[in-house]
Amino acid sequence: MAGTSLWRFVIKRSLQGIGVVWGVITVVFALRFVTPGSPINAVAPLDATQETRQAIAAELGLDQPLYVQYGQYLFDLIRGDMGYSYIKGQAVTTMVFSKLPATVELAVAATVVALVLSIPLGVLSATRRNQPVDYGATLFSLFGISTPNFWLGIMMILVLAVQLNIFNTSGRGVSSVDVAMSLVGPAPFFGTLVGWLSYVTLPAIALGTYFTALITRLTRSGMLEELGKSYVRATRAKGAPETLVRYKHALRNTLIPVITVLGLQLGTLIGGAVITEAVFSWPGLGTLIIQSINLRDWPALQGSLIVIGVGFVLVNIVVDTIYGYLDPRVVYN
Amino acid sequence: MISPRVLRNLKKEFRSSHLAKLGLVLVVAVLLVAAFAPLVAPHNPTAQNLDQSKLPPVGFAQTSTETTSKMVNGSIQTVENTTVIEPDLAHPLGTDGLGRDMLSRVIYGARTSLMVGVLGTLLAVLIGVPVGLVAGYYGGSVDDALMRVADISLAFPSLVLAIALIGLWGRATYSIPDPFVVAGLTPAMPEASTLPVTVVVVVGLVNWVWFARVARGEALSLRSEEYVKAARALGASDGRIIWRHVLPNAVTPIIVLGTVQIAAIILLESSLSFLGFSGTTLSWGFDISQGRDYVSSGQWWIATMPGLAIMLSVIGINLLGDWLRDALDPDIEGEGGA
Amino acid sequence: MPRKENERNVDRRTFLKSAGGAAATVAIAGCSGGNDGSTETEATTTAAETTEGGDATTTEESDGESGEFGVGVTLGQMDSGLDPQDNAETPTDIIVSQAYEGLMGRDKEGAIVAKLATEWERVEPGTARFTLRDATFHNGDSLTAEDVRFSIRRIVFDDVDIASPQKNDLGNVSDVVAGDGEVTVNFDGLNPIVFQLFATNGQIMQKSWVEENSRDYINRNVNGTGPFQLTNYESGNEVAFEPYEDYWDDTAAVQELTVNSSSESSTRVNRLLAEESDIVTNVPPQEVSRVQNSDVASIKSVASTRVIFLQMRYDVEPFSNQKFRQAMNYAVDVESIVENVLNGFGKITGQPTLDLFTGYNPDVDPYPYDPDEAERLVEESGFAGAEITLQTPIGRYLKDVEVAQAAANQIDSLSNVSCELQQREFSSLVQDITTGNIEDKPAFNLLGWGNGEFDAAQTIIPLLTTDGALTILKNEEVDGLIQEAQNEPDPDAREQILQEANALLHDVAPWVFMHQQFSVYGVSDSLDWEPRADELIDPYTATQK
Repeated sequence: MAGTSLWRFVIKRSLQGIGVVWGVITVVFALRFVTPGSPINAVAPLDATQETRQAIAAELGLDQPLYVQYGQYLFDLIRGDMGYSYIKGQAVTTMVFSKLPATVELAVAATVVALVLSIPLGVLSATRRNQPVDYGATLFSLFGISTPNFWLGIMMILVLAVQLNIFNTSGRGVSSVDVAMSLVGPAPFFGTLVGWLSYVTLPAIALGTYFTALITRLTRSGMLEELGKSYVRATRAKGAPETLVRYKHALRNTLIPVITVLGLQLGTLIGGAVITEAVFSWPGLGTLIIQSINLRDWPALQGSLIVIGVGFVLVNIVVDTIYGYLDPRVVYN
Repeated sequence: MISPRVLRNLKKEFRSSHLAKLGLVLVVAVLLVAAFAPLVAPHNPTAQNLDQSKLPPVGFAQTSTETTSKMVNGSIQTVENTTVIEPDLAHPLGTDGLGRDMLSRVIYGARTSLMVGVLGTLLAVLIGVPVGLVAGYYGGSVDDALMRVADISLAFPSLVLAIALIGLWGRATYSIPDPFVVAGLTPAMPEASTLPVTVVVVVGLVNWVWFARVARGEALSLRSEEYVKAARALGASDGRIIWRHVLPNAVTPIIVLGTVQIAAIILLESSLSFLGFSGTTLSWGFDISQGRDYVSSGQWWIATMPGLAIMLSVIGINLLGDWLRDALDPDIEGEGGA
Repeated sequence: MPRKENERNVDRRTFLKSAGGAAATVAIAGCSGGNDGSTETEATTTAAETTEGGDATTTEESDGESGEFGVGVTLGQMDSGLDPQDNAETPTDIIVSQAYEGLMGRDKEGAIVAKLATEWERVEPGTARFTLRDATFHNGDSLTAEDVRFSIRRIVFDDVDIASPQKNDLGNVSDVVAGDGEVTVNFDGLNPIVFQLFATNGQIMQKSWVEENSRDYINRNVNGTGPFQLTNYESGNEVAFEPYEDYWDDTAAVQELTVNSSSESSTRVNRLLAEESDIVTNVPPQEVSRVQNSDVASIKSVASTRVIFLQMRYDVEPFSNQKFRQAMNYAVDVESIVENVLNGFGKITGQPTLDLFTGYNPDVDPYPYDPDEAERLVEESGFAGAEITLQTPIGRYLKDVEVAQAAANQIDSLSNVSCELQQREFSSLVQDITTGNIEDKPAFNLLGWGNGEFDAAQTIIPLLTTDGALTILKNEEVDGLIQEAQNEPDPDAREQILQEANALLHDVAPWVFMHQQFSVYGVSDSLDWEPRADELIDPYTATQK
């Protein structure tokens, strides 16, 4: 049906995405020259010896013309070399990719929490308009988009982790990979899953609240709009059961703008993850970014920015594909 | 620009919606408080008073078990005192760890949030709207190029880009003299408000895209309108056409987006100052980071008061935004924004 | 006091019952072997849990990790790299001293004990000889005299591998001779406190290991002779150790040692009370009661050898003027800060040397709080209207930010000075302070200095003499007095000279003299461990209760 067109759409978006990725990489390259002081200072720690500084200058190719430096930079990136952090004594690629899974895990957990809660809530709110459920949901979503997530996190730690001792106060004890491995196989063991939940639940809620509220509002207004449209009335006239009408047609059409917004708001999600990581001492990319800035570790910062930018583009391509699947009109545009 | 029909819509929506009224009340309250801060605040928000530290808010007498320590003959002796700390009417919302009045800090914090929110949004508008209008009006390769730039800008999450830029450029500030103090009306208050300039610039830089998109949308849909074509045929310059025909129609969605953006930027600013990336310490986010250490030892108000202030301000702005959107153009997807 | 640990676990257990009952608590205790996780195994609670449900027992045994005596330590900062000779901060020292040791060490009260040296003697006024014991490095190689010689030279001489910030810490070494199972060290001058120095400093590394590996490798790996060896290193996040079976002394009772950090004191305290950590540092005074009254932990506090001060660079205006510096001392109300910000967990100082240390001058009183005098002195200094910025680290010392805020505010309250506060990441600030060039150092910053040798010279030399590694002062009189003291063989005469130096420094006022820090540790009730005055943490001595 829309198979090949969808593929072409995906390819077209991917090509556009590559353009954006190139832009991201170039901007990050330019940042090196925007830092106060020479670019060597951007890489070398303050107490570096003269030899180290010379080595860095040679490595960065600072005596070369600009386009050669840029070319070297691109070439290195393609080979997976994002430079070296003299302050931490590690390759940037290792640092960034060792922290990335934690952030991805947090972001995914928050998104799942948000979607699982908000879509049913939004639908319920729309179908029972002006009833207590609706008022409750509206109030909740209003608070949800207005509450700073770091403050929410601190309050939750106080009540749920410290006073009631249900969850852990900070850190990331186990990874989702461990959880998966413990559940799959001949003797599934739920302990790891529970351990994981005790660490990830509070951060996921803190991060996901904004989106739960946002998507609830969107779903609600979208559903209200859909339910008032002519095709819904037509389906009702045909005698299809209410549930069918509601969920199948209206929801599908409602999800389209929701997904658009999700893709656009991905940036907010990652930004929120940075703060959530700070509040919960979650050892992810956000913590690395803040640390790098405080330690003036520019190579690590640049590597993190590149990874985030590229990741963002990739996820948006996926989101657009889903969008295209749900709304074929976009594909043929 | 604002037609009588639109005004009627606004009034109608306002009358019928309780939430809109609440929003207006909240926003006006915050505006007044921020504008007249030196007159409203009971104390100088930066004045420390170590003897009066950690006072609870009125109505919440605190039974505090404090351990103090003394060195006796080379070893440390600790003494545990359980005292009831009575609140002081002079400090209705209590004091923080250094004895600064919480109410005054919350009041002055409104200034920082509003200044950054409004100025940052203004900057985003000044950058984004012209870019969007040009992109939408001319279309073609100009549009493509500008939208590529927008995409690249979007690829960096606003908070991440903001802290990266502030980290690179430093925390520049600008002192705005306080008219009340300069006029001699309230000499005990801080002489000037510190505007965190880097934060404003950065926040505007990361948010322009949303306005660009909206402006572009309007320009795109309008450039094929008859009167626009007619104006061009008559020889009017592009700039004039954009200014007189396209821009006025874009004003409505820009205003709606603007309110959403102000709310989003206030949240962004509080996040930045929470992380220590501001230029001023008179900020709600900063107070929350200070209060964090006290939350579990019983002095909950140091972190809670600023948090409530943020919530109420942002709720008010969001309610106003909802009202504007419902009244001006119910079809707008008003949920963009960092 | 009834142990409520079981009850707490029941709360969690009942809440998460749907996920699998009793097995849940075992997992929360951290027995899941996450390869990147900082899982601290709960100590004795696991034993109690076995009795609560059949499932728990089987899962525990199959895990293999539970029932182990694990200790988790949460500091305020992580290390700046694992090279024991290339750092000047206590957090790094705490971490590396699990795995590296010097010729001698100290016990908890500060008395000198033997480590890699079995005997030590002063052969001549300027020569010390150390007899080495048989010990092995973690990589299996034996300790040789050549390793000791190399280590000492690497620390003291800038041209041996690295320029170490610890170069003042072993005295004026002129050369080192490696003998047969012994090492002889010659000094320029007397070095009157040589054994104190070698008891606190000078961790021994293996020469071949250092020479064969890059600096980065050395900063991420460990090869020492100490009771613990490295199992995992996540830079900036966590360092994990296990006992070194071939340690020359008893093997450690602790079977798993994890060190992590949080600069937020509330996070550290929460971790302690949630039993995720067993030892946490710098519990803020307002949390002391909460920890004491909990059933899982208690407070152990000890007067630290650390002095907190605001140092001022002599070559930067307005700090170049002695009257201005003195004015700063009068402007800060240290007593009030100690009482209100620190709840009395601190003691005011008036000189660089602490009470009970050699060289402390009992006739020197701390500067009183006198803002009028401060303003007067500022006027006289000619720098009225000065604008200065105080830099402070975040979460390194007990309530450092609040202390700095209070001090900066008090200075700012003077009518003729305005003072701002700038918060800095500790490791970044330390980098600035330990650079070779004084021009790169901050003009005015808060700092703490721990003196593990209990001797005035070891604070004054690195911080206040012209050639000191971290100095901000150049004063010939001070230099002269210290030279004299270090060459004075008679301890009483020497003490007098040092007292004179302290009195002089009080007047020269290169610092705003703040307070002596009290170390306030939160320690789990299931752990038997006492803190040390030199702020090192030695889980080696810890046992289960």
